[in-house]
Amino acid sequence: MIYSLLVLSCPTSGNCTQTAAAFAQCVIARGHSIHRVFFLDAGTYTGAAAAVFPQDEADRIKPWLELAQQHAVELILCISSALKRGMLDQSEARRYEKQASTVHPAFTISGLGQLVDACANSDRLITFGG
Amino acid sequence: MTVILHTLNTSPGSAGFTDCLRVIAAGDALLLMGDGVYGAIADTAAGATLQASGAEIYVLTADTAAAGVSNLIKGANHVDMDGFVALTERFPRQQAWY
Repeated sequence: MIYSLLVLSCPTSGNCTQTAAAFAQCVIARGHSIHRVFFLDAGTYTGAAAAVFPQDEADRIKPWLELAQQHAVELILCISSALKRGMLDQSEARRYEKQASTVHPAFTISGLGQLVDACANSDRLITFGG
Repeated sequence: MTVILHTLNTSPGSAGFTDCLRVIAAGDALLLMGDGVYGAIADTAAGATLQASGAEIYVLTADTAAAGVSNLIKGANHVDMDGFVALTERFPRQQAWY
């Protein structure tokens, strides 16, 4: 089956984004595919290029990068959620004349239409919030 | 009626927990995760309400272990991540409460 994920949880509060990433790996391990992961609201912090985690804490970003690198999973940050949180990729940084991009290149900034498309083209949409 | 997999990620007494309990019905499945796992602790009001719902109740093992309540859970099936994915294979629709 084709899965898509909607992630609303902030990566630095609670463990829900870690659960979501582990879920995604397990979905693939069970023979399914992940069409898209759409990050909304505080979930967009997951794309933070400069996030550094203490040595005794789990890296909350790395599991998503592994998903993108190993399985070509599409990682989309909602544009309105991302921009107001200072999450800008290179083209948005240029557009708004900011000094640097803050989003890891594995993530793409795009609109809510990508979530609608994910719903329409996936057998399952699983939401992770809180 | 369409059966639903509910995932509940908030502790008993929260609005999300209360709203979820109002909606779940026999035939549905409820997966407790994050702080939601406290809802399946034995001999609590929340646990009794979950049992009375008639829904299949599950807890995510990683989260019961993280909360230190694995041995206190009653009336719920323990599932790992593989079991979570299996539930989503069985239930075409999911409602997330948080």
